[in-house]
Amino acid sequence: MISDSLGEVVLALRDVKKSYPGTPPIHALAGVDLEIRSGELVAVVGPSGSGKSTMLNMMGALDRPTSGSVVVEGRDLSRLNDRRLSGLRGRKIGFVFQQFHLIDGIGNIENVATGRLYHGVSRRRRRSEAVEMLERVGLGHRLQNRPNQLSGGERQRVAIARALLGDPAIVLADEPTGNLDSGTSEEIMTLLHDLNGQGATIVVITHDRELAASLPRTVSLLDGRIENDSVLNDSVLNDSVLNDSGLGGR
Amino acid sequence: MRSARSDLSRLRSSDVFRVGGLGLRARKVRTLLTALGIAIGIAAMVAVLGITASEDAQVQAELDALGPNLLEVFEGESITGEDIVLPVESAAMIERIGPIEVAAQVSVVDATVRRTEFVPAAQTGGIVVLATDLDVLDAVDGVVATGTFLDARSAETPAVVLGSVAAERLGVRSLDPTPIVYLTDTYFQVIGVLESVRLAPGFDRAAFIGAPIAQTLFEAELEPQTIYVDVVDGWLDDVRALIAATIRPEAPNEVTVTRPSDAIEARDVTSDSFRSLLLGLGAVALLVGGVGIANVMVISVLERQGEIGVRRALGATRRHIRLQFVVESALLSLLGGVAGVGIGAAITAAYAEREDSVVSVPIEALVLGVGAALVIGGFAGLYPAARAARLDPAEAVRPG
Repeated sequence: MISDSLGEVVLALRDVKKSYPGTPPIHALAGVDLEIRSGELVAVVGPSGSGKSTMLNMMGALDRPTSGSVVVEGRDLSRLNDRRLSGLRGRKIGFVFQQFHLIDGIGNIENVATGRLYHGVSRRRRRSEAVEMLERVGLGHRLQNRPNQLSGGERQRVAIARALLGDPAIVLADEPTGNLDSGTSEEIMTLLHDLNGQGATIVVITHDRELAASLPRTVSLLDGRIENDSVLNDSVLNDSVLNDSGLGGR
Repeated sequence: MRSARSDLSRLRSSDVFRVGGLGLRARKVRTLLTALGIAIGIAAMVAVLGITASEDAQVQAELDALGPNLLEVFEGESITGEDIVLPVESAAMIERIGPIEVAAQVSVVDATVRRTEFVPAAQTGGIVVLATDLDVLDAVDGVVATGTFLDARSAETPAVVLGSVAAERLGVRSLDPTPIVYLTDTYFQVIGVLESVRLAPGFDRAAFIGAPIAQTLFEAELEPQTIYVDVVDGWLDDVRALIAATIRPEAPNEVTVTRPSDAIEARDVTSDSFRSLLLGLGAVALLVGGVGIANVMVISVLERQGEIGVRRALGATRRHIRLQFVVESALLSLLGGVAGVGIGAAITAAYAEREDSVVSVPIEALVLGVGAALVIGGFAGLYPAARAARLDPAEAVRPG
């Protein structure tokens, strides 16, 4: 069965359109259908202006679509108020940013623990989870440091640890290697592969076609539409994803 | 369906303060400089309240030491403009009212005081000769600096006691050997010099002689110029109401009764308006400090867009963001308030030390100072916090 290697649909975009007001209005997304299943490692790739960022905003519940629906673990985001939307964002979605966005003035453990701050979890528990997660991303020796004492690659590892804390349904990585040199980029991608191997569902948004091609599934965007959705490596995945793409359900 | 409740964002109250304090710890110099504005305002207000409270305590202490129960009685004005003459036995009449410790009178003697007979009679040096009751010092809390005051025996002899200023003008510095001064046409021995008398400033420029010798030598009528009445504690108002009618029943409104310690209290009242002015200045400093905090918070929100975006991405609601910045602003101001209260109390203590007065910092000033800082900080944070909460998370996480 396919479902042995591919889990449930954790995130689905159904005919998502997003336009920004202006004269003429900008149609950043012009009807996108996409499903991400549990355990996938997906690249969303496209040139600048193709709608990648808007796509990230939709998938990450940072913004609402003009029409269509975004469904995370069966819940339609368009029906949620700010408080519920924030709750869902905090618990179900992990974010990794190109600029790391770590908080100055607090240590690595506190930075990672911020991933659980808004879950109402006690500080002691947050910190012990954070230490565990920092060890998991290979920063067990950097627990007592602050982000500004780290290299770029190490900072991104801290950010990844923060994103993974609390076991989100999906991790969205926006150009995670955009500020890193090629050697460090490779290390970060290896880490993402490893984490995916341990069960994390990860979507990498990038303009780098070569990087995208190294991932099991690549979704290409152009002018606000999905131009191509391919599974390159695993033939079993390949078939199933191609068959299901854009249609929802199994 | 899953339980929706467990999916909501929640921030523990202990974390509210931890998150609110974070921005302050991350930018220590800015925090200190911003808090300084509030600290100066609060310190100014606490110091003003503390110093005036210390002064009040000092004045009260002086009044208590002087005995606030002294009344001064002298002639008032008649409707027809004639001179009013109080009865020679006024002091004795007043004593009969009852609850009186001492009633003593002085009367002006038509005589001049000079150093020697060779000084022209016109050069009186502004010194008044007073024939006095022997217990007048008890009534006005007067103290003899050197020598003695008049007694029953010396009151009949050419003996004189000088007020502090009078002694100076007549060149009397020591009573050994006994100095003599010239009163109109007779040499008098100076047997004593008074300290300055606080409740009866006129005494400082007076030369006191006994009533008997005044009658003998200068044919003094002994009509009282002033009667000093020391009233038993608690009877002041009752006695005050009776005095005029007692000594001048035919026209009590032609007698003036005053309380010298009122003048000392009045000095305190004049410092009230000064205090209001200083408090007003402190309030302005505080307001400026508050505007400074608002300003710094607005800048901080602009600088920390990325952080705000990430917090939103990690599940913070708009309310959480607003709370974070209001708490940060209030904590910043509170820091200034606590420092200001400390500085203000220290200034008060230093002032009291220098003036050798009682230190009195009212607790209300301390509580008010800290409270005012909190409120100002909270208000100053409202607008920046609202801006932070309004930020679109999608834009906040992206540069440019």
